Amino acid sequence: MTPQLVATFRQHLKDGELVVQKCGACSRLNMYPRYACPFCQSENLGWEQVSGSGTLHSFTVLRLGAPEGFEGDLPYALAVVKLDEGVQLLGRLLPDADGDWSQYACDQRLRLTPSPAEQMPYRPCAWFKRAG
Amino acid sequence: MSESWQSPVSAGASEDPVFVGVGELPSGRYPQRTFVGDLTIVAGRALQDAGMVPRDIDTIVLIPNLHSFNDQADLIFSRMVEELGLANHAKASFMMHSGGSTSDNGVRVAAGLISSGHAHTVLVLQCERWGSANLAEMVTMLSKNGIPGEWELPTGLQFNAIGALITRRYMHASHSSAADMAAMCVALREWAQLNPHAMYRGKTLTVEQVLASRMVADPLHAMECPMLADGAAAFVMTSAENAKRRGIGATVRIAGSGGCVSHYSIGQERDLAVLGWPVAAERAYAQSGWGPKDAAFGEIYDSYAAVTAIALEGLGLAEAGEGARWFSKHCAPGGQFPCNTNGGLLSAGHTGVGGGTALLIEGVRQLLWRAEAGRQIENCRRCIIGGTGGSYMDAQVLLLERVDAGAGR
Repeated sequence: MTPQLVATFRQHLKDGELVVQKCGACSRLNMYPRYACPFCQSENLGWEQVSGSGTLHSFTVLRLGAPEGFEGDLPYALAVVKLDEGVQLLGRLLPDADGDWSQYACDQRLRLTPSPAEQMPYRPCAWFKRAG
Repeated sequence: MSESWQSPVSAGASEDPVFVGVGELPSGRYPQRTFVGDLTIVAGRALQDAGMVPRDIDTIVLIPNLHSFNDQADLIFSRMVEELGLANHAKASFMMHSGGSTSDNGVRVAAGLISSGHAHTVLVLQCERWGSANLAEMVTMLSKNGIPGEWELPTGLQFNAIGALITRRYMHASHSSAADMAAMCVALREWAQLNPHAMYRGKTLTVEQVLASRMVADPLHAMECPMLADGAAAFVMTSAENAKRRGIGATVRIAGSGGCVSHYSIGQERDLAVLGWPVAAERAYAQSGWGPKDAAFGEIYDSYAAVTAIALEGLGLAEAGEGARWFSKHCAPGGQFPCNTNGGLLSAGHTGVGGGTALLIEGVRQLLWRAEAGRQIENCRRCIIGGTGGSYMDAQVLLLERVDAGAGR
């Protein structure tokens, strides 16, 4: 059974929203979601929807050697994204119209984009594309 | 948090923990060799190097393997005590694990046991059968372990992608070119030509070949990715007093160590071009009184070239942004700062958790002046060991120095 913490995060993703944890005691944002606030140890943790805007810290396009179950996704791009709200996460990058990611570069601006569910099996992770 | 890391054990103290012997088997694909067989043989080689027999040791610290949970269980449940004839003699046999940095933490554990009197002589043992394992199974295993299942597994992350995320950020931050990164692999391959245990001995490599190899995970080409290998390594540590009593000549002591665990998830690392190296280096230098210019050579984890380039900068050996180019210029055979003199993981072979162990024992071997002619760094006395585990979760630094026979005792 998927833990409630994970199920809530994934349900928001399905709804096209990205939420991060917010501590009810110290008000700080936290990623990834945890069972106690890593700053003040409070267990009073809630959720806050974030803008989905951020910068591309790094990315790669995996072309060979997909893990079991991901073979049909190749090639695909993974990215470490720093959100404007000050937390970060690993997600997927949407390819450009040519099907590749050659126009992406570190420190570019990104925004959250809906998961291309019709193109491949649904993955419960955040997808991003270049802003503007 | 207290930042005083002064060691209670000083050079010349009777309880100072020292390395007295190392053993190793060739790395590569050896389907005829066996796990327990390799462990038994490599233990014998390390003990022979120390002038010892199995009954001279009281504690076995086991470095895990990644190829088989069944073999792991054999390690945990003291099989090697029985295989080495130490039933009813060994005080303790146990496994410890922090992935690629296990050897560094293993040294700390062995040293702590010895200096506190909980052990007299410790054998640290490692064997990996990655080269003979099913590659697809290993790729899947490495994609599920050490990656947060809830938050990162759904993206399709795997180990080459982790190395690529670090490499991409490092190249961006340092303005290093693809050729700069490939040249590091070429320098490592030059070292492998001098190491009879290296997987890629006899196989030369050029920058052009690296750049012409298939793109695996941009910006990493196939020849920039480590090759999974079989391998085995072991080392013996005891107290300076015991080494003296046994008439052992030169030994190697730990001048200091430092570490920093900077993340668990790759997606939570604040700066993929820095990692934990600056903090780990500062702590190690503070404990030892050394600076970056005090070592003659280094043995620094290199599952991907960028990992080593980042470490060289964090350790203060290379200037910020110059790590990759500095390595190619100064760290190849004949350079002013020899580094990864066994060929590193990239050219000696990636023996799983053993990749760091191979670098560690190469450092000890060099300091004992027991490397083969042509590879031995003449009169070397001080070495920087750098290790890291998991998704490059930590940076571990050991500063090792040679103690001549009779010195300070």
